[in-house]
Amino acid sequence: MSILNKKPERDPGAAEAVAGDELLVTGGHTFSSLTDKVSGIVEKKTPQQWYLLFAMAVSGLMVLLGSIGWLVWEGTGIWGLNNPVGWGWAIVNFVFWVGIGHAGTLISAILFLLRQQWRTAINRFAEAMTIFAVICALMFPGIHVGRVWLAYYMFPIPNQMLIWPNFRSPLLWDIFAVVTYFTVSTLFWYVGLIPDLATLRDRAKNLRKKVLGLFALGWRGGNRQWQHYEKAYLMLAGLATPLVLSVHSVVATDFATSLIPGWHTTIFPPYFVAGAVFSGFGMVMTLALIARKIYGLQDIITLNHLEKMNKIILVTGSMVGYSYIMEFFIAWYSGNEFEYFAFINRALGPYAWAYWIMFLCNVITPQIFWFKKLRRSIPVMFVASIFVNIGMWFERFVITVTSLSRDFLPSSWDYYTPSIWDMLTFIGSFGLFFTFFLLFLRFLPMVALAEVKGTLPEADPHNYHKEGGDK
Amino acid sequence: MSSNTTKSVQDKTYWRSLDHLAETPEFKELVEKEFPEGASELTNPVSRRKFLSLMGASMALAGLTSCRRPVEKIIPYVVKPEEIIPGKPQYYATNMPFGTQSFGLLVESHEGRPTKIEGNKNHPGTGGASNVFMQAEMLNLYDPDRSKLILKNGRASSWRAFTAVMKNELEKHQENGGEGLAVLTESFTSPTLKRLSEEFGRRYPKASWVSYDSISDENIQAGLTAASDNSALPGYDFSKAKVILSLDSDFMQMESDDLQNARGFASGRRVESEDDTMNRLYVVEGTYSLTGGMADHRLKVQSGQIATFTAALAGELAAQGLAIGAPEVNTSFDKEWLKAVVADLLANKGQSLIVAGKRQPAHVHTLVALINEILENSGSTVNYHENQDMIGSSLESLVSLTNDMRSGKIKTLVILGGNPAYQAPSDLKFAEALRRVAFTAQVSLQVDETAKHVDWHIPAAHFLESWGDVSGSGGAGIIQPLIAPLFDGKSAIEMAGVLLGNDEMSGYEMVQETWKGILGKNNFEKKWRRVVHDGYTDISRERAVAINKSRAQASVDASDYNSTPASPEKMEVVFTASFSNLDGRYANNGWMQELPDPITKVTWDNVALMSVNTANTLNVKNEKLVKIQKDQDEIILPVWILPGIADNTVVVELGFGRHVGRVSNGVGVDVNPLRKSTAPTFAAGFTVRRASGEHSIACVQDNHGLDEEKLASDAIQDRLPVIVRESTMDDYQRDPAFAMGLAEKEELRSMWVEHDYGEGNQWGMTIDLNTCSGCSACTIACQSENNIPIIGKEEVSNGRDMSWIRLDRYFSGDVEDPEMVFQPVACQHCEMAPCEGVCPVAATTHSSEGLNEMAYNRCIGTRYCSNNCPYKVRRFNFFNYSKDMPEIIQMAMNPDVSVRFRGVMEKCTYCVQRINVAKIEAKNDDRELVDGDITTACEQACPTNAIVFGNINDPESRVSKLKAQNRDYALLGELNVQPRTSYGAKLRNPNPALVDGGHADGGHA
Repeated sequence: MSILNKKPERDPGAAEAVAGDELLVTGGHTFSSLTDKVSGIVEKKTPQQWYLLFAMAVSGLMVLLGSIGWLVWEGTGIWGLNNPVGWGWAIVNFVFWVGIGHAGTLISAILFLLRQQWRTAINRFAEAMTIFAVICALMFPGIHVGRVWLAYYMFPIPNQMLIWPNFRSPLLWDIFAVVTYFTVSTLFWYVGLIPDLATLRDRAKNLRKKVLGLFALGWRGGNRQWQHYEKAYLMLAGLATPLVLSVHSVVATDFATSLIPGWHTTIFPPYFVAGAVFSGFGMVMTLALIARKIYGLQDIITLNHLEKMNKIILVTGSMVGYSYIMEFFIAWYSGNEFEYFAFINRALGPYAWAYWIMFLCNVITPQIFWFKKLRRSIPVMFVASIFVNIGMWFERFVITVTSLSRDFLPSSWDYYTPSIWDMLTFIGSFGLFFTFFLLFLRFLPMVALAEVKGTLPEADPHNYHKEGGDK
Repeated sequence: MSSNTTKSVQDKTYWRSLDHLAETPEFKELVEKEFPEGASELTNPVSRRKFLSLMGASMALAGLTSCRRPVEKIIPYVVKPEEIIPGKPQYYATNMPFGTQSFGLLVESHEGRPTKIEGNKNHPGTGGASNVFMQAEMLNLYDPDRSKLILKNGRASSWRAFTAVMKNELEKHQENGGEGLAVLTESFTSPTLKRLSEEFGRRYPKASWVSYDSISDENIQAGLTAASDNSALPGYDFSKAKVILSLDSDFMQMESDDLQNARGFASGRRVESEDDTMNRLYVVEGTYSLTGGMADHRLKVQSGQIATFTAALAGELAAQGLAIGAPEVNTSFDKEWLKAVVADLLANKGQSLIVAGKRQPAHVHTLVALINEILENSGSTVNYHENQDMIGSSLESLVSLTNDMRSGKIKTLVILGGNPAYQAPSDLKFAEALRRVAFTAQVSLQVDETAKHVDWHIPAAHFLESWGDVSGSGGAGIIQPLIAPLFDGKSAIEMAGVLLGNDEMSGYEMVQETWKGILGKNNFEKKWRRVVHDGYTDISRERAVAINKSRAQASVDASDYNSTPASPEKMEVVFTASFSNLDGRYANNGWMQELPDPITKVTWDNVALMSVNTANTLNVKNEKLVKIQKDQDEIILPVWILPGIADNTVVVELGFGRHVGRVSNGVGVDVNPLRKSTAPTFAAGFTVRRASGEHSIACVQDNHGLDEEKLASDAIQDRLPVIVRESTMDDYQRDPAFAMGLAEKEELRSMWVEHDYGEGNQWGMTIDLNTCSGCSACTIACQSENNIPIIGKEEVSNGRDMSWIRLDRYFSGDVEDPEMVFQPVACQHCEMAPCEGVCPVAATTHSSEGLNEMAYNRCIGTRYCSNNCPYKVRRFNFFNYSKDMPEIIQMAMNPDVSVRFRGVMEKCTYCVQRINVAKIEAKNDDRELVDGDITTACEQACPTNAIVFGNINDPESRVSKLKAQNRDYALLGELNVQPRTSYGAKLRNPNPALVDGGHADGGHA
C-alpha cells in the first residue's frame, strides 16, 4: 500500500510507540499533514517575499551575464590579474562553489549509507544547493581562460588536429572530476525526487498534472517500484560517496601537484575535503535557517537537526584548523626556506589581513559549538554559518593568491588587487545560484517528503504491534 | 635608391588632387584631419579599445549596406628584382650617427622594409653588439607621429615653396657675407656635413654655424683642449686596464663609446677558471649607475664633490711619490679608501685607467688627463685623438647665438637638427629668442617644441631613409638608406645642400662627392661600393693628440677644485640623460618608454631619485611629490628612493614631459626649467620640499630588498645568495666550486626512464653574471625580434609587462651603500618543465632539441603554466595588445614571428625562428650546423658577450665549454626542473687592503 493512501489522522498512541527514540518530526504531523505542508508550498500562491528575493537574484544574474559579456569582449585583462598572480578571484570562486557543493551529496549519500535518518529533513534542498553550486563552480573555469571560445579544447573530442588534451594536467582531472560529480549528483537528486513528483502530480490538474507526470516517470508507489527504487537509490548513494571525497581531492591537486611554495603540499586533498564539507554545511545552515523561517518548517527541520549539523561544522572546522597549523609545522620542519617563507608571508605579509579573517572565521568561530546552548541558538548559528562561508572563501583566496604573489624569485613578486569586474562576477554568481535556488523552492518540494514520512513512527511496520495489539 | 629617383622627386611636384593643387582650405583641413596629433592614447588601452570597438561595430554595420573590400590595388612583381626572394631577409650595412659617435649597423630588411637593427660584426666600434638606442631606432623610423608635412607657420606647404623662399632669403645674405645668417645643428662627425659646413663658411664668412646637444662630450673636449693644445677626445682601451677608477663616469652605458668600453671592460673581467686574473673597478659617483653596479669598490660622493675628490686623488698620488702638482683642497673623504686606491693605481702604472664622466666640468678632465699621463696610461689604456669631421657641441656658442637672436642680429636661422626649444638650458629662453628672428626654418623628425616657433618646418628623413656618412675612431663609414623616405623627409645634408644653393643635388650625390675626396677618384665606383657594402672603411679621419703635461699642469687652478658639500637646505640636483629617452629623442618610442630603467625599474615616468637618508630628511616616500626649487624656478616630481645615491643629492632625468605624439604625451615632467646654462649638468643650492599629492609610478620590480617591508627584505637577503651566486676572486681561488656547492643536491634518482637528450642538437644557453652590466640591450633586441607588444603605463602598473627577457636587479648589503647585481632571466627551457605538465590542452610541449615550445594556436590561456613557472618568465596577453597597432608600426614587425592574439601565453623561444633558418641553410648547403651559426637576438645584442647560446651536445661549442666551468650554476636548480639556461656566478675583486681594513663597501658580504 502506498504511503500516499495512509489514513489521514495520526494515531494518538503512535508517538508513545517510539518513545525512547527521538522524534525527528515534531508538531504532531501525520503523513497527510506533511504532504499538505510541503506540497502546499509549491501549490499555493507565491509569497510576496519570494518575488522580492527572486527579483534580487535575477538582478544578480544579469550582473553576472553583463560581466561575462564584457570579459569575453575585452579579455581577461579586465580582472585584477597580473604576471605572478595568474589566478585570482575566478579560481577562488570556483573552489569556493565546488566546496559548497559538497554538503548536498555528503548529506544524501554518506549519511544515507550511515543511516543517519535526520538527514531527511535537509537532504533535498542540500542536494539542490549542491547542483546549483556546482553549476556556479563549473562556470568559472570556463570563463577564466583567455580564449573562451576555444575552451572546448579541454574536452577529449576527436578532432582533425589529432590532438588530445593533456592527461597529465590536473586541470583536466578537474574537469572530469567536477563534471562526473555534477552528473551523479543530479541523477541522485532526480531519483530522490521521483516519488515526491508523483505526489505533486496526484494533487495537480490539467497541464500541471501532465508535466509533473512526465517527470514522475509513471511512479505509482507500487511495492515493486519501491523495491527497485530503494535499490537504485542505494546504488547511487554508493556511487556518489567516493565522488564526494574525490572531487575536492582532485581540485586540491590543481594546487598540490604544482611546485609553487604554499601549493606544493601533500596535505591538500584531505584538507580540501574537510574544508569543503565545512563550507557546505555552513551554506546549508544559512539556507535552511532562512527557508525554515519563511515557509514555517520548524517542525520538519527541527532544532535537533540543526544541532547535529552544528556538530559536523565543529568537527570539520577543527579539522581545517588542524590543517592550518600542520601546514605551518611542516613548512618549518621541511627546512625549505621557500616553503617556510610562503607560510610566514601568509600570516605576516601583505595578505595577513586575509589570513587572519580566514583563521578567525574557520577555526575560532566553530569552537562556540562546544556549548550546547550556543549549538541550539538559532541567531548564533546563523551568524556562525555566515562566518564559515566568509572564512572558507578567504581560505581559497589565501591559498591561491598569497602563494602566487610571492614565489621563488623576488624580482617577480607583485601584489594582486581585484578589479570591479572580479567583484561583480562573484556577486553575479550568487545571482545565478539564488535564481536557481528560488525557482527550486517555488516549483519543487524542498523537503524529501517520502523520506521524511519514512522516519515517522507510522512508517515502521511494527509500529502497530508495539503496544501489544492491533488497532 | 638610385640618384635618379631622388632627382625626379625633386624635379616634379606632385599633387594628390586638383584641390591640392588649388590649395583650397577644405583640402588643407582634410590633410590635417588625416594626420591628427595624438589621435589615440596608447597609455590607456581600455578607452582606446572601447573607441576601436565602437569603430569596429560601425564598420560592421556599414558592411551591411555595402560590401567593403580593400580598395588598394596590390600588384605583383612583373619583373622580379633578382636579389629579392620573398620571405628571405637581406642584410645591409649602414651607420647610425649618434652625436659625435656613430654605430656600425647591419640592418635586416624584408622585401624592402627594414625590421631589425643589429651591430655590424666587422665594425670596429660596435663589433656586432648593440645598445638600447640602436635597437630602438627601428621604432623611431616607423613612429606614426613623425612629422609628415612641410609646414609654413603651422599650415601645410610644399618643398618647392620652401626652396623658393629659402633661395630668396639666402640671396639677401649673399651681399653681406652672411651677416645675420646662422645655422644650428646637433653635434656630428660627418665628412659630408663637415665639408658642407666649411663650404658654407667660405660662402658666408660672417655667418655662424653652431652645434649644440644637451648631452655631449663638450666638457671632456674642453678639458682635453686645456691639457693638449688641440680639441681632442679620449679613446679608452679597458681591456688593457687592470685597475680602473671611474669618477662619475657610466662608461659602460651612458658615456660615448659605451660598446667598446663595455667590451673592453668585460674582457678584463671574464674569468675561465680560478687561475685567471680579473680587473678591479673603483667607482666614485653621486648617482647610482650601471657601471657603479659593476664596481668592486664604490664610494658615493656628490657629483659636485667629484672635482674635489679628483684633487684629493692627485694629492694622495703626490703623497705616495708621484710627480704631480696637486691642487690644494679641503677634503673629508675616506682616507683609507683613497690610500688603497692610489696604491693600487701606482702598483699598476701603465695598466690602470682613470675616467671621468661627461657630466663633470672641464677642469676635472684636465686633471684626470694629467694623472693618466703621469701614470703612464696614455698610449696603453687611453689615447687622445682629434676628428677632422667633427663639430662638437658648444654651449658657449649657443648662448651667444641666442643673445644675437634676441638682440635681432640674427635675421635668418636654419636649424638642421636638434630641438633647441626643448633642449637648450631654460635661462636662454630659446623659444622666445627664436620668435625674434625674421626667418626661421627647421628640419626635424617630429613636430616638436621648436617646430611651434619656427616659420618653416621640414620633416626630417630618418638615417635609415637617407644617405649620409660618419667618421669615428675605427674609421669612416657611409650611411645608406634602407628604405625611401616614408614621409618625404629631408636629411640634414640635403638641407645643408639647399643652404649652399645646390638643392638639385641629392644627398647621395653630395655624399659621393665627399667620398671622392676620401677614396680618390681612381677606381672610385668600385671602392665606393666596397665601403657601402662593408658599412665602413678603416681610412682614419682622426689624428692622434698628445697631452702636454706642463700645459695641463699649468691650467690646474686650485680654486676650481674646492667645493662645498650640498646640505639638506641646499641640495644638489644632477641632470642625467634618461636611460631610455636620452635627451628626449626617444620620448615617442614605446619600447623605450616601457623599458624599465635597469636600476630603479621605473617605466613611463621620470622621478626624483634620492637616497634613503634624503627621503627621510624630507619625510617622503616613493611616489610622493616633491617640489624642487631655486630662485623663481621650480618643478614637481614624484620621489623614488634609490639606495646608494649620495645624500642631499636629487637626480632627475632629462627627456620627459614632451608632447610630440601618442606615446610621449603626458609622460613625465620636463626638468629643464631648473637647468641653466651656467650649470647644465648638475647644480647646487636647491631647496627640496614635500609637495602635496602623489603620482603613481609603473615599476616592474618592487623595491623590496633593503627598505620597506622587513619580512620581505629579510627573505630576499636570505635567498639572494642562492639566486645570484657571488663570491670574491680570493674566495673563488680558495673554493673554486662555490657556485655549485650552495644548494644543489647530489644526482636525484628518477622514478621513470627519462627522455634521452643525448642525440642531435640540444640547445642551451649560459649567461655570465660576471660580465652582465645590466645595459638592457637584450630586452629591446628581443622586443624587436619577437614582436613583443607595447602595453602602456596602466598595464605595466597592473603588473603585466611583456618582456621575454627581463633584468632582475637585486641590492645587497648596507641600505645606504648597497651593492647591486643584475640577472637577466628569460625562459630557462627546463628539461623537466613544470609548465608543460600542467597545460590541459598540451599547448606547451618539449621539442626533441630541448626547446620548451609554445603552440599559440592551441593555447586557450588557462595561465596555469605561468603560475607553475618558478622563474615567472611567461607572459600573458591579457588584452589584444597588438590590435590597434598603427599600420606603420606593423612594418617594424618581424614576419618570421607571429603576432600573438589576446588570451594567449607567450615567452622566450630561444629565437626558434633563427634556429630554423640556420638549420635550413645548413641543410641546403649539405653541412652540419656549426657553433655560432645561430645567435639569439639577446646574445647578438649583448655588448659584453655575457649571453652565449649553442648546442650543449657538442662538447666543442662555446656554450658547452662555459657550462663546464666551475662557476656555472642552474638558477633554482634545486627544484630539479633541469633548466637549459645556466648562469656564471658573479665575482668581485675587492682590494684586500680595503677588505681587511674593515671596510665592508665593495667587499663580499
